[in-house]
Formats: sequence, C-alpha cells, structure tokens
Amino acid sequence: MRLFDRHLTRRRFLQASAGTAAALALGGLPTASRLFAQSGSFNMMTWSDHFYPEQLDAVAKATGIMPQISELAGNAEGYTRVREVGGQLDLISGDALWVPRYYEDSLIEAWDINELEVAKTLYPIAREFPWWTTPEGYLGYPFGWSPVQIYYDPAYVSPEPDSWEVLLDPKYAQRVMVENQPEEIPAYMGKYIGAADPYNMTEDELAQATDAMYLLKPNILRLAQQNTDTVSALANGEVWLATGNLGTDERVLEAGGPELKLFTPKEGTIGWMDAEMIVAGGANSANIRPWLEAAEQPEYMAQNFILYGRPLFNEAAYKILVDNGHQERADRFLYNQPEVAATMTLKGPSPSTAAAVEAFNEVFAAG
Amino acid sequence: MTHAMAGGHGVPPAEPEAGRQRRPLTRLWPALPAVLVLGVLFLGSMAFMVVFSFWRTVDLDIVADWNLDNYVKFFTSPTYPGTFVKTLVMAAVVTVTCLALALPFTYFLVRYVARRWQRIVLLAVIVPFWTSYLLRVYAWQAILGERGVINQVLLSLGIIDEPTRLLSYNNVSVYIVLVYVYFPFAALALYATLERFDFGQLKAAQDLGARPDQALRHILLPQIRPGIITACIFVFIPIIGEFLTPIIVGGTQGVLIGNPVINFFRAGQITQGAAFALIIAAFVTVLLIVFRRHLQVEDVVARG
Repeated sequence: MRLFDRHLTRRRFLQASAGTAAALALGGLPTASRLFAQSGSFNMMTWSDHFYPEQLDAVAKATGIMPQISELAGNAEGYTRVREVGGQLDLISGDALWVPRYYEDSLIEAWDINELEVAKTLYPIAREFPWWTTPEGYLGYPFGWSPVQIYYDPAYVSPEPDSWEVLLDPKYAQRVMVENQPEEIPAYMGKYIGAADPYNMTEDELAQATDAMYLLKPNILRLAQQNTDTVSALANGEVWLATGNLGTDERVLEAGGPELKLFTPKEGTIGWMDAEMIVAGGANSANIRPWLEAAEQPEYMAQNFILYGRPLFNEAAYKILVDNGHQERADRFLYNQPEVAATMTLKGPSPSTAAAVEAFNEVFAAG
Repeated sequence: MTHAMAGGHGVPPAEPEAGRQRRPLTRLWPALPAVLVLGVLFLGSMAFMVVFSFWRTVDLDIVADWNLDNYVKFFTSPTYPGTFVKTLVMAAVVTVTCLALALPFTYFLVRYVARRWQRIVLLAVIVPFWTSYLLRVYAWQAILGERGVINQVLLSLGIIDEPTRLLSYNNVSVYIVLVYVYFPFAALALYATLERFDFGQLKAAQDLGARPDQALRHILLPQIRPGIITACIFVFIPIIGEFLTPIIVGGTQGVLIGNPVINFFRAGQITQGAAFALIIAAFVTVLLIVFRRHLQVEDVVARG
C-alpha cells in the first residue's frame, strides 16, 4: 500500500491504464493483428472438407501462404456474412446457384480461371457450367459436387426403401439424422411431396412440406452440425438412416461402422456443386491465385477424395486415383461422370427462403 | 483545505469553484476508452439490431420498410412463446439446481477446508474453463449417449438390459449439461461472498438460542444475498440465450429459444432474428432491473 502511495497514485494508475487501453485500441490491436496474420495469408470461409491439414502445411511451405479459415455452416450464412464484412473475407465457398447470386450483388469477382495452370486439370465441363459463366469471366474455381443420398443400415431398415417417405416412417423413431440446415430440410420435404421447385414452393406446397416435417421430427435423433456428426452416429449405430453426400458409406465403414446401403429417392433429390469464389475488394486478393494454383493440384484433390469420398471436379486427380487402385470407388461415387452434376436440382437462393425457415422453425423450434 | 491553499497562493475565491467544477470531467477521461469500446461494440451493434428488427428481409436483402411484423410474428406464432416459456423454466430449474449444489459445496469449502486447499479445489472447479465450451458439451454426448459411458456402466452392472435413451437427446440431457456448464459460475460467485462471511456470527446466534437452521436463514442467507443474486445472474441469463448445448445434446426435443434465433441468422433472415433476439434482450433487461432492486450494490462495495 505504501509503495502504491509513494510511486503510483491511484489517479496516475488510472491514467496509465486508460492511456494503455487507448494506445492498444488505436494502434496496438491492428499491429497485433498484423503480427498474427502471416505475411502470406488471406481469409477464407469454407466447408471443413475442402482441405486437410497436411495439404495446408505443404502449400504453406511451398508458397508461404497459409489461409485463416473460418468454417461455413450453410450457403445463406456465407452469403450474409460476405454482405456484412465484404472484403474482410478474401475467398468463400458457395453452392451452384448461390454463386451467380453473389455476383449479381457485386460480392465476388468474375475472373479467368484458365489463368491458373492447375485449371487445365479440371474436367472441361467444370470450366463451362452456364450458371457460372459471365462475359466478364468465370465466377468461381470449381471444387466438388454430390447429390444428397439417403443412407441406411440394412440390418435395421427393411424393406429396401426407395423414397423420402422412409424418413417419416414411425418405426424409425429417433433413428434418423439430417444436417441442421433450416433452408434445406423443407426442400427435401418439397421433393417428397413433389414440389416443382423445392426452393420456391407455393403456399400449398410449403404447407404440405411442413406437414411432412411434422412427421419427420419425431424420427430425428438430432440435427447434425457437420457431416462428421452423421458419420459417427451411423458408425456407432445411434441412427439407422441419414441424408448424406456420396461417399458417406465409405467413411462410416472406415470409422468402424456397419456396411450401409444408399439410394437416390425416386421423387428426385437435391444436389450441390461448389466453387471457391474470390470476394470483391478482398484485402489479400493477391495471395489467392498463387494459393489456388498450389492447393488445387491433382495430388491434393486425389487425397481429398480418399479422405472425404465425394466426387471432385479435378479430372487429373481421377487419373491418379485410377493409377493407385481407387478406380472402383471413384466410379461408384460418379467421379468420372461430372455431367451428372448438371442434371440435379441444384441448391440456390430463393425468394421463399423466409417462408421455408419459418416453416422449419415452426416444426423444429417447438420444444 | 481549499481555502488555505487558495489563500496561500492569493487565488481569488472563484477559481477553486471552477476547479471543483472541472475536476469531475478531468477525472472521467480514464474511463473514456472503456466508454468508447462499450459505446461502439455494445450500444452501436445494439442500435443496428433495433433498427433491423423493424425492417424486412426480402429475398435475403434487408429492406428499410418500417413495420412491426417481426415482433407480431413472435407473439402470434404457435411455437415461439411456448419455446420461450420453456426456456425460462429450464433456466430457472438449472439456476436453482446450481445454487442448491454450489451453496453447500462453497459453505463446506470456506468453513472446513484449509485456505491452501481451498485454492486447489477452486482451481479444480475452474479447470473445465481451460477447454473449449464446444468440446465439453461434445464430451457429454459420449457420456449420455446410447453407446455412452453411463449406458455401458448400467449394462455391465446388469441394471438395464438394453441401452436407455432417457438421458440423451431430450430435455433431461440439456438440463444435465447446463448444470455442469454453469455450476462453476454459481460456485465462484458464492465463494466470493462466503469467504467474507464471519462464521462466528452463526455461533453467536446459536448461543443466543437460535436453532442451526434459523441461524442459517436469518444470519447467513441475508448476508450472502449479493452472492446468491450474482450467481443467479451468471447462470439464469446466459441460459436464456443458449443454443449450442440444445443443438448438440438436446436433439429435436431439447430446443430452447436461442435455436430459432440462430436458425434465422443462419438462413439470412437477419431482421426476424434481430427482433427475436431483442425480445429476449428486453426480457433479460427487465430481469436485471428486478435483480438490481434486490441487490444492494453498496453492500458488496463496502465489504470489499
């Protein structure tokens, strides 16, 4: 106390603290943020299966660029985030018809992906999807795709299902898992009730889809946050039915789970195909092309397929997979048929998103 | 003092008056950074939320079309008021449980455990904070789940024949995990108050004829009231905004009001989410005002 009195009065202490706080706020934090951000860095928002740690490390070693990655939960969230923060993000992943929506709103850049040498390793069709093509250039660097499938454990699920309806069957109470995407589950049910456009349902169609969600709810054990949740729940037998991307059955098997079967519902399904988009005005845009050039190399894409097991758009990676004895698996997951991606009902924004989310909440937010 | 100094330096009497008026302002400047941070980060963002809550989202675009629809939707929905009430009940039950567990724990700790050991026990209480919240809640999945530790133990002891789902993906699991997550907050708040309590008063009360329970009710509880109220604030209010625990361990039955709010934000329905969040915030503010009435801040300060 005496020392305090003699050398540092309370007033001086408060002044010093305030001064330090002000200095930190005005100058220190930006400096700290520069220190934390590596010289070669950029901000990326993407799904967790777009990369793997060894790839990031190797690319960082080769290029000196390590992205700061934040996880993307859904398309609407990503779109909203870019609208909020703009160029604070540099690269963002998005699905199918969401990509042109970003461009229409001037949130991303159109560019010539053929500037990248690695783009030559893509399937030609992936460089020409009409919904990603504009006179100013292409809207994103194509990554992967998959139709949403229904997986089931044949030990518990019989007879062999072929429709979305199996998810609503009361005998599978608390044995179903779907991903927690409020705008997607109404679309799945839209497919089930035969809606012409599951992302833009009429009032009557949405009412029918809502009724279907009421039947679905008691069957759902929980809504998965990521595909890994689905894999682990199927692997440990907590659930017997789940929606998932191509390759989920392999991942379940690798996780020590049962041999699953899968089917594409007879009513049709939803599909996703995603691309990496360069955010307009991104502060670190100079680092993106060199990073993509290194990170999208066929060797990494082949390894990504082995890890996550859904088709990618990199054709050269398919050849690597074939050369290394993975052809059967790659063909089974349609890796060599990228044209199928163009035939799916593609994910995209819709004017009825609000109504769909409202319907989802009406069903799933009731405690 | 002022007069003496003023007289000593030959300063006219008006100047000390002015000095006294200026002094409070100059003393305020150390608080300026905090005021700025609070103003920009809290009030600024809150102002945006308030404005958005009265606007509309049309096709993912926020349209400045002033209306009350977002609020009307909350109160006229068959879902949200019920879920909100359920959330309040859950928060109240968890708070009472945390207090019921933390009070005897901290009482025993302060009264019967040597100070050196108190620190170690308190450290054990806060150790979970060293790992991420998400990780801790996920760990409970592995404990409560169908293939979880509890089921394995019950099966191996022959108490059940097949795994029970009574403890997983429902309101019970949300309750258990919330008690686990918030117990340390209640314990620390109560410990801080009990540590300053003079236990000799309890003995004195009993010497004067009070039964032990009377001594606790009339001597201890009134004096640790600030700690109890602080514990209530630390536990009850954050639970009202909880959404991760219900998502991870609650399944489709254990949802709380934070879940639809987060769904709106995730789906780009910011105006709707903002209105719902503000309804919750308004309720929390009212609660804080009520708590403040019962919390005599000067008691806490005077003891410090």
